[in-house]
This record gives sequence, C-alpha cells and structure tokens, in this order.
Amino acid sequence: MDNSSPLTEALFYILLAVRTPNHGYGIIQDINEMTGGRVVLGPGTLYGAINSMLTKGWISLFSEDKESRKKKEYLLTKIGREIFEKEVNRLNELVENAKKMDKGR
Amino acid sequence: MLKFKLYYDKDAEEVWLREMSLKGWAFKKFFLGFYTFEPCEPGEYNYQIDLLDNWSGNKSDYASFMEDLGVEVIDQWWRWVYLRKKAADGPFEMYTDAESKIYLYKKIINFFKIFLVIEAICFFMELTATIRIGNFIFGIFTLLLGVISLAILNVVWKCKWKIEQLSNEKK
Repeated sequence: MDNSSPLTEALFYILLAVRTPNHGYGIIQDINEMTGGRVVLGPGTLYGAINSMLTKGWISLFSEDKESRKKKEYLLTKIGREIFEKEVNRLNELVENAKKMDKGR
Repeated sequence: MLKFKLYYDKDAEEVWLREMSLKGWAFKKFFLGFYTFEPCEPGEYNYQIDLLDNWSGNKSDYASFMEDLGVEVIDQWWRWVYLRKKAADGPFEMYTDAESKIYLYKKIINFFKIFLVIEAICFFMELTATIRIGNFIFGIFTLLLGVISLAILNVVWKCKWKIEQLSNEKK
C-alpha cells in the first residue's frame, strides 16, 4: 500500500489508538469502544497491521515488559501522525463536499 | 481420540474442529493428517487456522502476541498454525476485514503454488516413464500424482474465488 492511498478503517483506528502507548489488547478494546462495537479487529488482522506499520515506521515499539509477560506497547511516530493527519484532511474534504447534497447548487 | 482426515481447505477444517468441539472433543495435535483430540466441555473452544509469513520467522513473538489476546497457539505444522480461543471469551475470527482476508488467501495460494509446480513436474516425469516402460506400478503413481495435482489446483481455484468475492464486497 503506498502512502497516498486512503487508509483502511483498521489502520486508521489503530493509529488513533496508539496516540498514547497501547498494547494489542488495549488497541482492540479502544477501537471497540470508539466505534460502539462496530469495528472489532481480529487478532490476525491486528498482528498483520501492526507489523506492516512497524516496518513502514508509522508506529514504533514503546516498551516491552520483560519481567512478567512479553506485553509489547506501541506508539505513534511522527511519520504516522503525518499519515493520519493527511487522511483526516481527505476525510474532511469528503464531508465538506457532502454538504452540497442538501444545499442544492 | 485419534482421527485421520485430509484437508486442503482450511476454512472447512476450522468448521470441522468446531463441530468436534461441540461434540466434546478438543483438538490437541496434528501430524500428517492425524488429529489428536482430548475430552472437553461441549463447545468449549473455537478454532482458527493461520498461515505464517515464513516458517523460521518470529514464532515466539506471534505466540505471545496471540496469548495477550486470549488466543492459544495449540500446534504448528510447517507454516500452518492451529489456534483456539475459549468460546466464553467471545467470538473468534482471526481476520475481520476484506483487506487482511485477501492477504491471507493470497499467501495460501503462493504456498500451494510451489507444491503445484513440484507435483506437476513429478506427474509428467512419471507419465513419460509409464509410457516408455509400460509398467503397471508407474501407472498407479502417475494416477496418484495426477489426483494430488488436481486437488492442489482445486485449492488455488477456491482461494482465487474467495479473493474475488471479497474484492466485490469491498466495492
């Protein structure tokens, strides 16, 4: 996926969920809450998305609790934030233009 | 309990493992078509089967990630992993959007494509040997290899069909 194409819903919400350090389970829960249960990410979908975003540098590994269990936390990077903001601008444009529907010409 | 079955469609295999769980048999181990089961509460687990990106890869990373989400890696066979989650902990679906499902089916196609090429080569080698030597045994092997090749071809077709369905859904 190149950087200019629209984000998938999963990627969009994961980026939002890691604006502060968050781990896998927390990401799923947050997205579930934010969307009122509409978007529930499967473990495989989340794993794939996180790994691809780590590779692309959109998110980074924040911490790894080595003592108890290996619970990794992820955090949004500067690149990730830029990608997110670009997507929000695109979405705003859609919504702005959508208003024309009711206004007539 | 031990059962022998040959599956080449992981979706059908998942359904069967769920059915076994509903009958009170929890899947435990897989080896060359042999499935080991142990007693469980009827319907205790849901199962999913996943294909790892590469088989040397970061297995412990994958396993601990899944474990944090309440998903247990039960067994691994080559790049294939068997996963289960307690039914009481909610529904269990590894891939929840069209993009990631398509990605998985593409991975499965690529996995089987390698075998398809190998099987096809073996098939034609056996075929020429059968024609040249005219030996009955060679003929049986040729037939067997032909059947296996067709079965693999069938998986690839099925995955392609599923990808097409998912792409249409997205539009």
